[in-house]
Amino acid sequence: MTKNRSVQMGPALLVKLFGIAFFAYLFLGFMLLPCLNTLASIFTTQNASGETDPLAVIRFFFAGNMGSFVWNSLKLAVCLVITVNVVGVSIVLLTEYFDIKGAKILRLGYMTTLIYSGVALVTGYLFLYDSNGIITTLLVNAFPGMNPNWFSGFNAVLFTMTFACTSNHALFLRNAIRGIDYNTVEAARNMGARPFKVLWKVVFPTLVPTMFSLTVMTFITGLCAMSAPTLLGYDSINPEIVRLAGSSTADEAFPQARAALLSIILAMFTIVLLTVLSSYERKGHYLSVSKTKAKLQKQRIDNPVWNILAHLYAYILFIIYMIPVVMIIIFSFQTYGAIRMKKLDLTNWTLINFFGTQDYQYLTNRGTYKTRKGSISGLFANEATLGGIKLSFILSAIAAALACVIVVVACNYIFKNRKKKSGTVLEYCLLFPWLLPTILICYSYRVYFNSEDVWYVGGTNLYYAGHVRLLIILAYTVVKLPFSLRMIKAAFYAIDEELEDAARNLGSSSLATFLKVKLPIILPSVLAVFALNFNALFTEYDMSATFASSYGTTYAMVIQSMCREEGLYGYNVNASGRRCASTVFIMIVSGIILYLVYGVGARDLGERLEIRDRRRKRLEKLKSFGKKSKEVNV
Amino acid sequence: MIRLNDIAVKFGDFTALHDINVHVKEGEFFTFLGPSGCGKTTTLRTITGFIEPVSGSVVVKDKDITHVPIEERNIGIVFQSYALFPTMTVYDNIAFGLKLKKLKKAEVARKVNDIAKKVDLSEEQLKKAVSQLSGGQQQRVAIARALVTEPAIICMDEPLSNLDAKLRVQLRNELKQMQKDFGITTIYVTHDQEEALTLSDHIAVFNKGVIEQIGTPNEVYNHSATEFVCNFIGDINLLQAEAVSALNRAGGRVDPAAHNYIRLERIHVNVDPKPGSVALEGVVDSREYYGLYIKYYIRAAGQIIKVIEKNDGVNIYEVGQAVQVVMDPRDVMAYPAE
Repeated sequence: MTKNRSVQMGPALLVKLFGIAFFAYLFLGFMLLPCLNTLASIFTTQNASGETDPLAVIRFFFAGNMGSFVWNSLKLAVCLVITVNVVGVSIVLLTEYFDIKGAKILRLGYMTTLIYSGVALVTGYLFLYDSNGIITTLLVNAFPGMNPNWFSGFNAVLFTMTFACTSNHALFLRNAIRGIDYNTVEAARNMGARPFKVLWKVVFPTLVPTMFSLTVMTFITGLCAMSAPTLLGYDSINPEIVRLAGSSTADEAFPQARAALLSIILAMFTIVLLTVLSSYERKGHYLSVSKTKAKLQKQRIDNPVWNILAHLYAYILFIIYMIPVVMIIIFSFQTYGAIRMKKLDLTNWTLINFFGTQDYQYLTNRGTYKTRKGSISGLFANEATLGGIKLSFILSAIAAALACVIVVVACNYIFKNRKKKSGTVLEYCLLFPWLLPTILICYSYRVYFNSEDVWYVGGTNLYYAGHVRLLIILAYTVVKLPFSLRMIKAAFYAIDEELEDAARNLGSSSLATFLKVKLPIILPSVLAVFALNFNALFTEYDMSATFASSYGTTYAMVIQSMCREEGLYGYNVNASGRRCASTVFIMIVSGIILYLVYGVGARDLGERLEIRDRRRKRLEKLKSFGKKSKEVNV
Repeated sequence: MIRLNDIAVKFGDFTALHDINVHVKEGEFFTFLGPSGCGKTTTLRTITGFIEPVSGSVVVKDKDITHVPIEERNIGIVFQSYALFPTMTVYDNIAFGLKLKKLKKAEVARKVNDIAKKVDLSEEQLKKAVSQLSGGQQQRVAIARALVTEPAIICMDEPLSNLDAKLRVQLRNELKQMQKDFGITTIYVTHDQEEALTLSDHIAVFNKGVIEQIGTPNEVYNHSATEFVCNFIGDINLLQAEAVSALNRAGGRVDPAAHNYIRLERIHVNVDPKPGSVALEGVVDSREYYGLYIKYYIRAAGQIIKVIEKNDGVNIYEVGQAVQVVMDPRDVMAYPAE
């Protein structure tokens, strides 16, 4: 019998060894070594005479203005925590807790950040609120005392990010509030608590854990802000790292080591915050004890004044969320002139920004139009724009899928070895990138793999030419591992252990059980994670900017370059139209993906069968109706 | 049919089972009964192969299957949670095991439809998702799924515990009928003594990882082998010194040094004592109304004695009423005091 088993162990052992080798390779080669190299590079700085001076950068940090970048980032992070929480909690309460008319429409508006984010959103805001932007012009006309340049620097970044960073609130806080047992609210009311007292004493305490996590995440988002500070001009850490990474010793003192130091500082902040968060989470906290939860019912605000104010507030927020989206959509159907002048021309609509194949015209200083040869105006005909979208599409899809596959395999192992050390070790390895700011990982990759000395990638320079695409995929995948793990692990928890036993008992092998029983159960969650990963990576800017290379011009970089063209040179008006059009295109793609995952994919088998049933009955009804009418005709 | 020989199971330092010896005969309904954590489910899982014993052997039809992989044992199981696959239809759930055996499609369909008919599942229900079925229907699917591969043995792990009281009794009867019809050897795990008594041919009573007694329902109930068994099964009175000496005065041979028990239904109120029986004077202290019967708590011989009386409208006693409690010393079960 023992002999028999050792033979069975053969292939299993091989698979196990391969698995260990793969994850060790992934962790050591693409997480630990590149980052350690960055850390080490701080202390290997050479001074003017070529001697190694380990503390040169640190002295430079305290003597120069490098500290101001850190300070600016901290300031932004602290302010964002306040504003994002205020807006985030507001939008969730207004749509889920209070009885506000039109809550469904409002929710759609508040959720637009799920499909409209990153560079696209920042450029959209710039388009509206810039000194000659539509809204600013409107406001200045209404209030002549207003400063038309209000949308710049810190104010602009804070304003933009406040509304751009509420996606997590819209998703997770919404779930938390919907998970409240309504009976607890009723019990509090029954004991004599007024509605606001209930909100404060019963509802809020249950939201604290979620709020705490969201606060930490927002703080980190603020610290690591990239697209908004870059495009709106605010000197925070990340844009400075990217600038330094592209600089050389000929221009300034040891830019590489300074970039490394800044990214390590960022990493230290992140590590401290996440340690606080995880120790808080580990402490354990509020758990719903009710076995039969009652569904939350919307609370009517009885005081008419408060009710009107709440509605007003809700719709002002709605307008702020919707204006950029609506304007981008409208302007994507406008002509160059209208976009250039930022004035709607309701008499002149066009599809040229989407499908135009002709060379574009531009407006000269004299106010006449000229044609520029060889440049194409339509999104789907312009090679550069389409190329960026295609590249982003492919890279994001591959990386999002890779992250999911790696995590599913790992989770299967982690759950089988829950009580063993190996499971825990694997889990922590995959969570490791969470501790590192994206910029540190990318910067480290850029520096570390920009050489032919890394033996474990075959001595290939991964930053060179087309290889950079592989490097981007690697970075995308590694950066998305922690999020994917947290989400997919939760899905694994939902698998009843007895299901696995049942399948084995009916004669199913380990592999067949995984493929036929477990995978179908977790598939909706895996697809959701894939979609969220894909959407985030598709429009991601931080990593592309760090890897900036003509072979790695992703969608976000294309948008940035279009923005630069129209801004700096003023003549490439056409780029604006194409930018609007491509943003609309992205919104459609992201929207469809989210709908498929959350709308269609989240249905369980019972719901799907019911829908099919209803459809069949409707069809039969139609058919029989057709027959009847025929009979009548006869 | 099934023999468990000296099975011992350990989880780390904790000995979950030891000295487990069971012999289940072909076609028998055999129940593992005991409080939670006593090792009954562990024993069941050892038979199905989810747990490997540290020593001892599992023999089925004279073949040692102790180390045979789970999937090759051909022992069906119905789980407490039913463990129906939520992503499959009822049909696919039942067909799962057959498809793994690479049977032809028509053959699979025939077998699934046959078993569905036997457990009373309609064709319409086969097309549904398991989440669309009621608890009782889900249980039928679980049974059908376990039976369709024609296993030699079927194991059931508290299959009725997820149902409400009325359905539990109804399905209990159906289960027994099905077992009779299929004639399949069944091992049934429960903590519900009523279930065990009504269903089983034999019962093994578990306590803290060992078997205290194996016997027919009557043996286990009326001739409990240990003090634990007599306490665990049914309600019982522990007789104190005064009652024991009264019994002995009436000619009984009850050992005053032992722990002496008597079942509630063996005690009668206000009847003429038969020869050898003893009548004690008492007062009704309180009563519990059950509908079918009434349970009286009667203060007599310096202790509270519990008695049940059929609720026939004749023998109804009020609290505070003086009554006579009649018992026969031959009904006493005695266990040595430890």
